[in-house]
Amino acid sequence: MSTPVLEVSGLTAGYDGAPVVRDVDLTVAAGQVVALLGANGAGKTTTLKAISALLRPMAGTVTFAGTPLDRIPAATRARLGIAHVPEGRGIFSGLTVAEHLRLGHRGERLDEAAAYRYFPVLSRLKDRRAGLLSGGEQQMLAMGRALARRPKLLLLDELSLGLAPIIVEELLPVVRRYADDSGCGVLLVEQHVGLALEVADHGYVLSHGEITTHAAARELDADQARIVAGYLGEHPV
Amino acid sequence: MDQILLFAVLGLGQGALIAGIALGVVVTYRGSGIINLATGAVAMASAYIFWALTSGFFGFTLPTVAALIGALVAALAIGVLIEVAVFRPLRTVSPLAKLAASLGILLTLQATVLLVFGTQPQQAPSVLPGETVTVLGITTPADRFLLTGLVIAIALALGALYRWSRFGLATRAASENEQAALLAGLSPNGISLANTLLAALVAGLLGVLAAPIVQVDSITLPLQVVPALAAALFAGFTSLWIACTAGILIGVLQSIVYFLSTQSWFPTDNGNAMPGLQQLLVFVLMVVALYVRGAGLPRRGEAVEQRLPAVPLPERLLRPALLAAVVAAAALVVLPFDFRQALTNSMIGMVIVLSYVVITGYVGQISVMQLAISGTAGFALSHVAIQLRVPFPFDALGATLLATLLGVAAGISALRVRGVSLAVVTLAAALAMEQALFGNTSFGGTAGVSVPPPRLFGVNLGPGADFRGLDGNEPSPMFGFLVLAVTVVLGLYVAHLRRTGLGRRMLAVRSNERAAAAAGVDVRAVKIAAFAISSFIASVAGTLYGYNFGSVSAARFTALAALGLIGFAYIGGITMVSGAVIAGLMSTEALLPHALDKWFGIKGTWALLFGGVSLIVTLIANPDGIAGAGHRRRAAKRAARAAARVSEPDGPHPEGEHHAPAALDTTEVAS
Repeated sequence: MSTPVLEVSGLTAGYDGAPVVRDVDLTVAAGQVVALLGANGAGKTTTLKAISALLRPMAGTVTFAGTPLDRIPAATRARLGIAHVPEGRGIFSGLTVAEHLRLGHRGERLDEAAAYRYFPVLSRLKDRRAGLLSGGEQQMLAMGRALARRPKLLLLDELSLGLAPIIVEELLPVVRRYADDSGCGVLLVEQHVGLALEVADHGYVLSHGEITTHAAARELDADQARIVAGYLGEHPV
Repeated sequence: MDQILLFAVLGLGQGALIAGIALGVVVTYRGSGIINLATGAVAMASAYIFWALTSGFFGFTLPTVAALIGALVAALAIGVLIEVAVFRPLRTVSPLAKLAASLGILLTLQATVLLVFGTQPQQAPSVLPGETVTVLGITTPADRFLLTGLVIAIALALGALYRWSRFGLATRAASENEQAALLAGLSPNGISLANTLLAALVAGLLGVLAAPIVQVDSITLPLQVVPALAAALFAGFTSLWIACTAGILIGVLQSIVYFLSTQSWFPTDNGNAMPGLQQLLVFVLMVVALYVRGAGLPRRGEAVEQRLPAVPLPERLLRPALLAAVVAAAALVVLPFDFRQALTNSMIGMVIVLSYVVITGYVGQISVMQLAISGTAGFALSHVAIQLRVPFPFDALGATLLATLLGVAAGISALRVRGVSLAVVTLAAALAMEQALFGNTSFGGTAGVSVPPPRLFGVNLGPGADFRGLDGNEPSPMFGFLVLAVTVVLGLYVAHLRRTGLGRRMLAVRSNERAAAAAGVDVRAVKIAAFAISSFIASVAGTLYGYNFGSVSAARFTALAALGLIGFAYIGGITMVSGAVIAGLMSTEALLPHALDKWFGIKGTWALLFGGVSLIVTLIANPDGIAGAGHRRRAAKRAARAAARVSEPDGPHPEGEHHAPAALDTTEVAS
């Protein structure tokens, strides 16, 4: 196997000196969709934040496409090709959809066409301000913007937050399709375990800040008991 | 009619300056979320440097264009300094703390200019051509039109920049959601720097160009930020073209008011036209702007949680209070007369700052007006005591009551205005009161009005009493004792207030008004109570001022003095009574500046510089102030002792129950 897009090892991170996740190891390969599962407060969001440097880890390394990221700040990591769609979407409600897809850092041109291709709805809404979009449309915009940046690694945090299940069922297959088309590695945090495992290649279960189980998605899906054990905080026998 | 038109056109010059500063305020706010009170001060600094470069102040004289470029480079340098030394370290603090930091910049720039260039107002040469043009039958200087055209062009250029450029898009994005901007690969620091520099450039340019019209001194230009803030309020701190238009119109209106005041029918005060109407106009416009736009400013999405300074629960009250009282009383008798006077001044300063502890420390609202309320009480005291012949202590009580009512009325009308908007509108109110009320000889007057000494049962309690301390000079320690008694009582009351239910409700309102309301706290009642208590304390201080000097004059109660006092309150520790004590010792003519002056020859301007710089340092490094840092150290020591005692099995239990009500404030729980 070639160099994985993301390699996290021994990651410990938290807030105000209190660790939330401890000693996390995980790997995402190119074109792979990896689901990060776990109960509320297990540390899924914290893990993503540490990867994109919104949070400085207390220990451990994050390696992106073979390069250790060490103390590289968030904006620079974003420029290297990490796209993080944070919980609560991370869009700018005062900017129009089209402006979102123009907003790049210096020297960056976003691939608007890709965003409209994967989310055709957005092309009808070009001149609407993001604050006026529905929740599902906002989530599509957030993802569309992330795709338009041609990322090598996509971090998706709780796409389903506050959305109707039917919309989630639409969004997740797009993630799969994008990973297959572009070879982008995806790390997906999701509450809807079944839906997530349907599109994922591999799954990790976080429990109380530690990875308790990981396996191929199909295996995990078949053996739900292991996930339940992870959610309830028991180690697999 | 022609005359009105003429004055309207003349007002375009002032208007262009106000519009330019307003543009600077809006650009800074969009870039970094700071309402920069120092924008006018940047204009002042550039104007001074331009003057210095053209007049040979530095030993050489540059041609006008080169001097203009030099002044603009200086403005940019100030912008870089402000951004790197102040704005960047304070990215994550609350908007009110940012406002206080910009106040620190204002004081620092003002003091620096005074130290370098002196107090003398200067007349800078004009960059723009001095020809006149004739429009609609009136002949006016052409530079007014040029300035207005220039500021409109700047507004349009900035508008286009924000609307269409990548940089503008990034600025709008970062001001809305900083975290998402980071994730988009944008650097909020770089964006903030670029905007601060733009603002400094615009303010500096207008400062240089409009300076010949207004006059270059250390007060006029910095205070032009107040009408500029009115314009920015109309613009909701967002719209550049509204800020520009409103700024120009305010200048024109002020000029027309000036013209009207020269008319024979205009109400006069002692032969002169009523003073302060221009400032009053600005205040009224601000109120209108708040009414039209709503009190809220556009919300910003900063990346990190905002922490408020801790409000620790005072554990022991009587012992330190008694100790301090005994020391102060002894000092009043023993100290030489000048230090006795300085100590009395310090205590009065403490009382004033106590009013800020209640309104800003406990309730989290900055009201610049409190010092003006002090002034109102002082002037009212003179009228009540001399014209109505009311004896002490009823004259003081009457004056206090009157000023407190004014404060409560202001508080009630400001119930919907909070946070930064309140600070801005009360600044305008303080300025209007300074000019229109205290400057008016029928109520105040810059010459001062006299106050009779307080006499109780035939005993003189004033500074002229017979008992003269060890050195036998005025002022008498008797008056010091009176001030001391008042200070101790009010200090104990404010400390006690923190322990009461009302105090806890105040902290709840400070943390989150909506959450407090949801928890059953009557936010309006708490705020009115806070305004009443704070205004009462401020009024008492005002009457003490009156007795202290035997007269009251407007110079003590200016808006700038109020800003300085708020600065000292933050340095001392705005949430604690001990902080008020420290702030009082540092305030104007108090012990610390007096000692520095007497022993080291360090004058007041240096104190202003010291105040400005330490305000910024305090906000960055130690937002709880000197008193807060001291309290933390003591608490840590006590915790260590308690831990040592607990490790012995029979040792007494640590005093945990004292901290139970502190749960209202998360920072207390964490500490």
